[in-house]
Amino acid sequence: MIIQPLKIIAAILITGIILVSGCTSTPVQNGDEPTGLTELRFGYQPSTHQIAYMAADAKGWWLEDLEPYGITSTKDYLFPTGAPEMLAMLAGEIDVAYVGSTPPLSAIDQGLEAKIVAGVQTQGSDIVLANDLPYESPQDLVGLKIATFPPGTLQDTVLRKWLLDNDIDPKEDLSIISMTSSGAAKTALASGNVDAIFLPHPHPTVAESEGYGKVVVQSGEMWADHACCVVLVSQKLIDEHPEIVEQIIRTHIKATQYIIDNPDEAARIFSNKITAVPYDVSSQSIQDWDGEWVSDPNIELATALEYAKVQYDLGYTDKLLTQDDLFDLSFYNKVIAEMDEE
Amino acid sequence: MVQSMDIRRRILEITSIASAIIIWEIIARIINKKYILPSFTEVVTAFLELVSGGELYRDILTSLNFFAIGMGVAIAVGIPLGIMMGWFKTIDKAVDPIIEMIRPIPPLAWIPFAILWFGLTQYAAGFVIFVGAVFPILVNTYTGFRNTPRVLVESGKVLGCIKNRDLIFRIALPAALPSIATGVRVGMGVGWMCVVAAEMFGVSTYGIGWKIWHWNDLHHMDMVLTYMLVLGLIALVIDRLFRYIVQEWWLKWQTGVVV
Repeated sequence: MIIQPLKIIAAILITGIILVSGCTSTPVQNGDEPTGLTELRFGYQPSTHQIAYMAADAKGWWLEDLEPYGITSTKDYLFPTGAPEMLAMLAGEIDVAYVGSTPPLSAIDQGLEAKIVAGVQTQGSDIVLANDLPYESPQDLVGLKIATFPPGTLQDTVLRKWLLDNDIDPKEDLSIISMTSSGAAKTALASGNVDAIFLPHPHPTVAESEGYGKVVVQSGEMWADHACCVVLVSQKLIDEHPEIVEQIIRTHIKATQYIIDNPDEAARIFSNKITAVPYDVSSQSIQDWDGEWVSDPNIELATALEYAKVQYDLGYTDKLLTQDDLFDLSFYNKVIAEMDEE
Repeated sequence: MVQSMDIRRRILEITSIASAIIIWEIIARIINKKYILPSFTEVVTAFLELVSGGELYRDILTSLNFFAIGMGVAIAVGIPLGIMMGWFKTIDKAVDPIIEMIRPIPPLAWIPFAILWFGLTQYAAGFVIFVGAVFPILVNTYTGFRNTPRVLVESGKVLGCIKNRDLIFRIALPAALPSIATGVRVGMGVGWMCVVAAEMFGVSTYGIGWKIWHWNDLHHMDMVLTYMLVLGLIALVIDRLFRYIVQEWWLKWQTGVVV
């Protein structure tokens, strides 16, 4: 009587093993062999922080510069925050991510094979408080509801650290409401369901221009010169096509310099790509923000490692990530050395 | 003989579950990427961590609170409205087009209005669950009433049940009870599925659904899977409990009618 279930279990196990070996053997073999890459997939977010990506795209520089390396097309994916962008990278759907410097931490901690190869920008997020609430010091935020991006994002990490630095317990003294998009956070502020929002630009300017609230603190005041967005590249691309990674950095440096020199054009490129934000608002945002576009990853290194410590202390990562886990500076340093020689 | 059949059935059930777990463990070990598929042992470890930390109980209670609010209102609205639509043709004709227009809208689409109408409160989460649960209850109640055998209604009238109220509560309602029970059961299933959506927009920092999003944002897929399994297990317990209540009390009179 017991034999029949044993037969069933054996049959299920054999079928399972056959299925597993069938499902996994081919991709593993293919994944180990370098392939002739023809399409590059980018991830980015609807923020003025990442205009360098949009500028290179709008000017056609990605294709133009990468064509000699066999790239015939580029594809981009827009993400509301860094968390889903990292999930897409974990799934192997993105080769290059323009992303905040904190979402890669938990992803790399959990097994994502990728490295930060260039900086994108520092600072550039603001706290917008409802118009009827007073603000003189961080203590005025006690008891309020503040909406920001989910745990693990840059805004969540900077906000929590700043509150702790000012003797405010982010769990007990106020409510941090996790929002999956800037739109949801702005709606919550507009309807009075939260008292403040902490978002990257241009969203604080959008909220101000629509009359929902006023900017009271800029993130540079919360954490001076803090790292923000970076260029993250998959380890597969680094290992199999280092020459493409070098060119990505060259193009990124060119685009960054272009938007620094032409802020009005940068605002126009942003509004053409993110049509929900009109040109006058994105232009105002670039004038008002305390952010700075950069391409040197060394500028972001120190605070990125501090973020790693904060996230480890918060229990977001299982291990304390080091520079070697997160950064590969060799590409940027090589490109800069070559540019200096030229 | 009956006892032997029962033992064989149990062995088969245990074998099936054990096989699924073994296959899961083997696949996870072959893939060897925790973020793609955490292994059974990793999920058990995560579960034990959550239980020992006490966090899981608070999450379960928070989700059950939202569920109770949504289901309570869904039953309070769905059954009376279903009764009225099933019994009074005028009400049916007036309300049916509105119901049929609103019914296909997914509960997720109501989230912006849940925030605007109820704020970031438990009632907003309850509202999303209500939207998911109310229509199966309403439709099944309506169907139960519409299918009341005419012979029962006529017999009731012959025996002195003349008023609508008496006919509804003494004849049609008992006849429709099996259909209403099915509606509540389906509604509970859909409502529980809506818990994950209801907790994604910041109504609380606890709850099974919220924790699924939270750990997903941090890419701890072992925690995500643990909370998903807890969600499934609670759904199973709720369903079994409801079936027991229905069979032992609500529809006890049915025993022997079919089996």
